[in-house]
Amino acid sequence: MKARRDPVRPIIGLATMLALVGFWLVGSKVGLIDPQSFPSPDQFWAAAKQLTIGDGYADGRIHSHVLQSLKLICLGFFTATAVGVPLGLWMGWSRKAEALINPIFLLIRPIPALAWIPLAIVWLGLGDAAKVMILWFAAFVPSVINSFTGVRNIERPIIEASAMLGARGWNLIKDVIVPGALPSIFTGLRLSLQGCLTALVAAELLGALLGMGKVLYQAGLDIYPAMILAGMVPVALVGFALTALIDWVERRSMPWRANH
Amino acid sequence: MANIVLNSVSRTFQREGKDFLALDNVSFTCHEHEFVAVVGPSGCGKTTCMRMAAGLEFPDSGSVTVGGKVVNAPGPDRAVVFQQFALFPWKTVHDNILFGLRSMGVAKAEAAERIATNLKLMNLEGYESAYPHQLSGGMQQRVAIARAYVLNPDVLLMDEPFGALDAQTRTVMQEELLRVGRANPRTVMFITHAVDEAVYLADRVVVMTRRPGAIKEIIDIKPIRDAENWQQYERIEDVMDLASFVHLRTRIWRLLREQHNPGDH
Ligand SMILES: Nc1ncnc2c1ncn2[C@@H]1O[C@H](COP(=O)(O)OP(=O)(O)OP(=O)(O)O)[C@@H](O)[C@H]1O
Ligand SMILES: [Mg+2]
Repeated sequence: MKARRDPVRPIIGLATMLALVGFWLVGSKVGLIDPQSFPSPDQFWAAAKQLTIGDGYADGRIHSHVLQSLKLICLGFFTATAVGVPLGLWMGWSRKAEALINPIFLLIRPIPALAWIPLAIVWLGLGDAAKVMILWFAAFVPSVINSFTGVRNIERPIIEASAMLGARGWNLIKDVIVPGALPSIFTGLRLSLQGCLTALVAAELLGALLGMGKVLYQAGLDIYPAMILAGMVPVALVGFALTALIDWVERRSMPWRANH
Repeated sequence: MANIVLNSVSRTFQREGKDFLALDNVSFTCHEHEFVAVVGPSGCGKTTCMRMAAGLEFPDSGSVTVGGKVVNAPGPDRAVVFQQFALFPWKTVHDNILFGLRSMGVAKAEAAERIATNLKLMNLEGYESAYPHQLSGGMQQRVAIARAYVLNPDVLLMDEPFGALDAQTRTVMQEELLRVGRANPRTVMFITHAVDEAVYLADRVVVMTRRPGAIKEIIDIKPIRDAENWQQYERIEDVMDLASFVHLRTRIWRLLREQHNPGDH
């Protein structure tokens, strides 16, 4: 995309961020922002220090919280998409598979991932397994839907050409269906990741020993706004980093779109 | 035997909730090793006829057979050059051309040789590793042609295969198609809008009418070509100057003109 190399846009973006931070710094100094509801920069730095290089907070320092959360995200994301993507592709390709699976899927699809929380607790207790189950559902639905539509949106002439050229079985999947659906599959993976992050924070409210959501939860209980703010930063950074990772894999796996 | 027979083929499509007859009782044959061109106004059903021979479309009534067998599925025994190229955007030029060879189980060394020959023939050397979107329309069309030629098929179905080419390249391709056809005869159904091209290439020309799509007339070219010995001329422009050529071309033009009434689109 041309726009990506457009030098003006990042500058505008940076300017907006600086303006916001500037408003925060100045606004807190002159009393425009009430430190009771939104922490001042000093309070924020103190909380950030405590979380990163100090005694830690909510039973751990930042790295143990992030690692714990990353572990849950990875488990949920990979097990869900490892099932969801092939299932979506299969349903997209085979009307029979669609007829077979779609009814079940239609039941699951409208249920928000968080609605699985009570059942997850009943089945799996309060440990990691229950949280992974919730993340699993959050990631599963978008990966199925988008892989499915990805196959359905492959242009018909392409499918016909592959049939004329005798593509069958594994070669058909590998050379036509997967690459044809890939842009949509990646859209699904991005949404799955987003779903995981959302569900993670909520799932860690179940009483976690560690985790980024635990930090936020504890800070809320303690009415500690600076720590809430400091605890949101790693959530944003982890989300940003994982999305960037998916973007990178996407570019690498679709060289034919490299200079689009 | 690799002949193509359309026997009393009719086909109705639905459009805006209404039935409309796209092909009405169409019968024609491409005999073994015969080159048949199909001409007719846009929308008269040429592509539909070809798709039936390919096994991508089926008649409501009548039958379509290739080599005596009713066509019921697509397959690499018939090579198709699609009107819209239908290249795989995610495959390089080389891999697009390789695709059919691999599913036919052609050995690596032979595949490489055939691909090289066709890249050369289509003047695509040096573009092996380009992706389709990096090529011009004319180059994409040549890749599509190479992808069909490389299969060495008994039956070749070509839907306006030279439509996107510039005049010079088109001429080279036409001469080449004729030359390859003489050396290695096969059954060809060739759809085109260009009457010149049809007369120059074909043994017979099927002229179709629109609304509903039907056969207007089938014109024999081969007897005249043989009698006048067009083969002695290397170049298409020399053939196109011959009185016998001009006569046939005019005849087909008239058939096409007769059915054109303005305002009917
Ligand atoms: N799948 C389809 N559904 C509905 N209508 C169709 C379908 N395929 C073809 N038609 C219609 O059938 C008619 C014949 O189409 P076809 O593509 O065979 O024409 P053509 O002779 O190849 O035209 P052109 O020279 O413009 O390529 C057209 O009116 C077209 O709208
Ligand atoms: Mg057509």
